[in-house]
Amino acid sequence: MKHISWLGVGFLTPALLIVGFLFFAPVVMTAVFSFTNMSTATGISGGDYLLSPNNLDEMQAHGVSQKTLDALADTTYQVDDHGLLLLAQEFGTEIANELKERHNNDIFKNRGELERALKDMKHRIRSPRDRKKAADLFGTSILNQRFTSKVDFITAVIQTGAVQADIPAVTSVAYTGWQWTTNNFKRLFSLPATWRYALNTLAYVTLTLVFNIGFGLFLAISTFYMPEGFANTFRTIWFLPRILPPVLYVLMWKWFTWDTGFLSTILAPLGIPAQNWMMQTSTHAWVTIILINGSVGASLGMILFSSAIRSIPASMLHASEVDGASRFQQIRHIILPQLRWPILFLTSYETLSLLASFEHILLTTDGGPGKSTEVWALAAFHTALRNYSGNLQYGYGAAFALILVAIGIAASLVYMRLFNFRDLVSKPRIER
Amino acid sequence: MNRTQLYSSAIAAAMLSLAAAPAFAEDYTISVWAGGTNPPDAYRLEAIEMAADMLEREYALEGKELNIQVEKRRDFGGWDQFKQAFTLAAEAGKAPNIAVTSHLDIAPWAQAGYIVPIEDYIDIDSWPTNNIYPNLISIARLGNVQWGIPQDSESRPMFFWRDTMRKIGYSDAQIDALPERVATGDYTLHDVLEDAKKAVNAGIVEKGYGFYPRVSNGPDYAQFYQSFGGKLVDPETGKLLLDRKSMTDFYQFFVDCVNAGVTRRNHIGTEWNQWYNEVSHGKAAIWHGGTWHYARYIKEGNEDFFGTIQFSLIPKGNKDEGRPNTITHPLVYLLAKQGDEDTLEIAAKLIKIASEPRINALHAIKSAHLGISPLEQDIDFYANDRWAREATARLLPYANAQPNNQKYGQFSQIMWKGLEAAWGGIKSPEDAVAEVEQEMKAALGDDLIIR
Repeated sequence: MKHISWLGVGFLTPALLIVGFLFFAPVVMTAVFSFTNMSTATGISGGDYLLSPNNLDEMQAHGVSQKTLDALADTTYQVDDHGLLLLAQEFGTEIANELKERHNNDIFKNRGELERALKDMKHRIRSPRDRKKAADLFGTSILNQRFTSKVDFITAVIQTGAVQADIPAVTSVAYTGWQWTTNNFKRLFSLPATWRYALNTLAYVTLTLVFNIGFGLFLAISTFYMPEGFANTFRTIWFLPRILPPVLYVLMWKWFTWDTGFLSTILAPLGIPAQNWMMQTSTHAWVTIILINGSVGASLGMILFSSAIRSIPASMLHASEVDGASRFQQIRHIILPQLRWPILFLTSYETLSLLASFEHILLTTDGGPGKSTEVWALAAFHTALRNYSGNLQYGYGAAFALILVAIGIAASLVYMRLFNFRDLVSKPRIER
Repeated sequence: MNRTQLYSSAIAAAMLSLAAAPAFAEDYTISVWAGGTNPPDAYRLEAIEMAADMLEREYALEGKELNIQVEKRRDFGGWDQFKQAFTLAAEAGKAPNIAVTSHLDIAPWAQAGYIVPIEDYIDIDSWPTNNIYPNLISIARLGNVQWGIPQDSESRPMFFWRDTMRKIGYSDAQIDALPERVATGDYTLHDVLEDAKKAVNAGIVEKGYGFYPRVSNGPDYAQFYQSFGGKLVDPETGKLLLDRKSMTDFYQFFVDCVNAGVTRRNHIGTEWNQWYNEVSHGKAAIWHGGTWHYARYIKEGNEDFFGTIQFSLIPKGNKDEGRPNTITHPLVYLLAKQGDEDTLEIAAKLIKIASEPRINALHAIKSAHLGISPLEQDIDFYANDRWAREATARLLPYANAQPNNQKYGQFSQIMWKGLEAAWGGIKSPEDAVAEVEQEMKAALGDDLIIR
């Protein structure tokens, strides 16, 4: 019998909300961003319409006619009757009359010159803000004016005498906000650097994982055979990298590896020249990164594997000892086979977290030397959120991130298959 | 307008307003955020406070009661965090009224609508903004619009450790003449490399310390591109410019330094604190940095800057090409699109008053930056400072700035990536430039000219 249990749905709601807000929403937003040219300059929340003198060149490339370009490039201001009438209405007849007397029909090259003329009058308009307003009554130039509405902008463009047919192109160039595009992905796949980041990521994930699991196993097994108190001390020490804040942990590594650091100092009497053991060559950088990330990961492996080993019935180990098995044989034939699931679980879990993690690399080599340790997630961060000169490429960075999301989902599906996820969550046989 | 006219119009203005209807008290809260600002740079914010006091007094004489509360903030982790904080705040409509930031932010922020042109609220042609160095105030312009006002100026010189130079055969007179030789193009980067080699080979400085450059990306590296004849922007079209040959020569210079053992291959990423300490005490023979380093070297314990260190422009690449140069990367006061028109006008007026030479000189001397106005040299307090006086005269006339172009950030980033690859020996300079070209084409499109 099938019916919906509303109580069950109620209990599920918080989980659904969390999945929705913390997983689906960011993924959807990343996907949306990645198909835009969004950057600091375009802003996030939309745009206005603005033509600056630099845009004129760009419009020429878009095939805008010369007549329109000339109309738009015209920044002259002329003192005419129409303007004087408006001036009299807004700022009084005295000012309008004086301007007429001094500058009737004069043409000013730009607004600044007319403002200067307004300032030099006997009945001067005192506030610069008002002088600008007054000057604007005499010109039709729309350069450097910001329009929030498209209709207003188009109306203003038509007033300058632009050709009707050019309006869509002009509007498109003038729009300051972001636009839809697939260029991010085209650019991504066309650049050799992208493939290098991909290879770096593959190397980083594989090598760190091997170190993680191998070292975690070694720690778990070796502490298993130690006396209890001793083993616990060891485990606590090896757990430190995981509980230390990354910044502090990395700082210690820096002290350890700098050319004036611990390693260089103790190696100096042996005739080994002081060097930066973290950044000397890309090999140094890779070894450091794998050791740093590996140690963090290995501690988790150690805890998981230790508890899995403890759950092996002690009688099996005792029996094997009676049969004359060596420690190595115990490990090979009893312990490792029982650890199959924890190892698989940790491999999949760590692959996914390593793919997306970059904080330790950021804090140590920052992708250097020469971008040789720049992994995919770090490249996404650098593109979207770090630029010395400030124009951040949100859209392009999101394209990087979206690919990572796709790989992550694909890997999860493979692992679910590998684990026989359906069996794991199926009803116990007795209930079928 | 001369002074008398100025005074008389001010008095006239005051009388006019006294005659006007009694005004109500106007209360404003003006918030100022400054990026990259450490305690010695605090006058970037305090100048606005001083300006507020001045403006309140002026209003009082006009019979208006004005109360300005200035909220200052400079505790941002670094430039990245500051820029993120500002842009996100601006998106949310909670930006500060005034931002003190790099002039390179003008282009993206103007397009995004985060800032408004300051020229819409104040008269740039009057005192004190009409007295700012013309090449400096133009750095805060974009598309014929004055967006901001330069807050300070600086420049990025080459430094020489006098004692090391002496030991490789320079007489004191020759060391004193070095800046002049650099400026005339007689002493080039080729000579820098040769002198650095001498210092390393003679064991006066350690290997890798002959030429000891900046440890991270920054405007400094564009100087070396310029040294080899490169131009950042095409003056005709305003588009960014990639000059393949200059870029290759510039990369090659650093590769030559590494191969000769005068610069460390792993130099990039060295800790700043270590770097400052080493150059302050003569561990490096030749290095480059910024004018504000003067204060830092003293803080690191070098009491005798002029006795131990010589400074010059960045030399030209070699005898046949390029030019000696230096880049100035001034911070600017920008007016955020925040609050009503009256608030914007008050904020703009504060920026204008804060640019008074006497107030700006306080910042220049305290932070070892250079002044924004030639009149500061007439202020005893500024002129008595040997560093401010000499650095201003030797460097500022030759200084140019990086272009205010929305895509310059990407240009600079890609140029740096290429340099890192060549420097680290991952790629030859030619290959690195080829990849730079490819990346720039993809990232900058029509905004780039390749030569």
